[in-house]
Amino acid sequence: MNRLLVLMAGLCALAVFTLALSPAFDWRLPPGVAPPPVPADNPMSEAKVALGRRLFYDADLSIDGTMSCATCHEQRHAFTDTNATRPGVHNDPGRRNIMALTNVGYFGPLTWADPRVTRLEDQILIPIAGEKPVEMGFAKQEHLLTARLGANACYQRMFASAFPEAKGEVSMATIGKALATFQRTLLSFDAPYDQHKRGEAVAVSDETWRGETLFFGRRAGCASCHAGPSFTDAATGPPDKAFHRIDLPFSGDQGLGEITGRNADKARFRTPGLRNVGVSEPYLHDGSAKTLSQAIRRHRAAIGLGDAQVADLVAFLGTLTDQRFISDKRFSLPPTRCG
Amino acid sequence: MRLVALIIAGALLSPAAASAQMAPAAPAPTPQQCGAIDVELPPELVGWTAKSPLAAAKVAADLPKASLTPGKAFLATLPSTPDVTYLVQPEKPGGSVSHGGLFDLTVQSAGTYVIALGTGAWIDVLKDGAPMMSGSHGRGPNCTTLRKMVTFDLKPGAYVVQISANGPAELPIMVAKRP
Repeated sequence: MNRLLVLMAGLCALAVFTLALSPAFDWRLPPGVAPPPVPADNPMSEAKVALGRRLFYDADLSIDGTMSCATCHEQRHAFTDTNATRPGVHNDPGRRNIMALTNVGYFGPLTWADPRVTRLEDQILIPIAGEKPVEMGFAKQEHLLTARLGANACYQRMFASAFPEAKGEVSMATIGKALATFQRTLLSFDAPYDQHKRGEAVAVSDETWRGETLFFGRRAGCASCHAGPSFTDAATGPPDKAFHRIDLPFSGDQGLGEITGRNADKARFRTPGLRNVGVSEPYLHDGSAKTLSQAIRRHRAAIGLGDAQVADLVAFLGTLTDQRFISDKRFSLPPTRCG
Repeated sequence: MRLVALIIAGALLSPAAASAQMAPAAPAPTPQQCGAIDVELPPELVGWTAKSPLAAAKVAADLPKASLTPGKAFLATLPSTPDVTYLVQPEKPGGSVSHGGLFDLTVQSAGTYVIALGTGAWIDVLKDGAPMMSGSHGRGPNCTTLRKMVTFDLKPGAYVVQISANGPAELPIMVAKRP
């Protein structure tokens, strides 16, 4: 029954997305790469991207002004950070490892263990105003955030430009839409792996291509879950099919089982994308694997692999690091404050 | 017991790449968990409990009146973030309701210096107007009010310490040279 509900939720989520592209928006994607789906009620615009970027880096999105989205989602780490978990503004312990945002616009399920959260516009409100755990601290005080931003003349102008149909309203809905729009532009398709696929000369070691063969082959079987252009089945299949248990059940965190109540779903977590994985340590849902080798070894499928083969896989994964993406000024901290 | 606390502190103060220093602030210890607070301090930070008042500078011109002395702890008062003119944009600028400020720091001898905070604020150390790379970052030991410790390898000379994204207007801060 729960599985049916999850499937229905996924279908509903898909229904509100347009497969048609936003024709006026320049995604700056390489030839042959389709842009991510965009909800019909939140079309792309440069004004919304600019507002979303500014909001993403603004610590006023936390109750005490100490934490912005970028506090945990650091560009140089592919929009995650180097901590296993991170406490919120009131020092509530963080629950799970911060997820990287590379190509997040393509993903169906957006969190480690909840297949119901499939819209960036909705997910964004979890850290801002969630309570389990408290992160940015606006739970039941969202009006303070909208009043804070609404009193800023710079934001008044930016919201008016981004949301003319809403008369520039500063609301949790428009905040979520702007942040989601910016995050859909976080696209990474210029790693050495991509360059090689495009026929460009790439200087890499032999072990890299041995690792590629292993990655896509049946023996390691990595690509059965780390599938598609973003190396995750979260971007290629139905929302409830992207959750897997990679090793023995964890003692504490029940993962997907916490949502569905099914024993079979205990310790299942969403497949993370692997683009830029070389700069997004630590790994796994709890950040317990400090290196890629450790993370690979935690997979049951890696039991039969020797150290040299794991090293080959690590070398291959290194070709997924897109230096342009992690240094692109379009995604970085705006050089001046808003206001 | 002291040795155990120091080992824990050492383990937590792990090497870090680049200027990464977003070590999460340690949850405040509760009286039930700790017999006493700020007893088991790292040796270079034994002066942490005796803090002198110090007002942070809002602008560079006020830096001579906001000097951090290595080996001495301060309870600094910080202006509101919008009132601070940073010399370099902090990597983690605080919001309009947060607090921040500038401090002068003069170092007489080369070595590794730890900047310890009682909060999880962001620290930039500037030399000749450019941010320096931090060496390691971590939490303070359990059962202390040390929330964040970041190290920098410094040579003799003058530096500016920028604090950003601090919640309250008060900041316990201490700079000390590692033994």
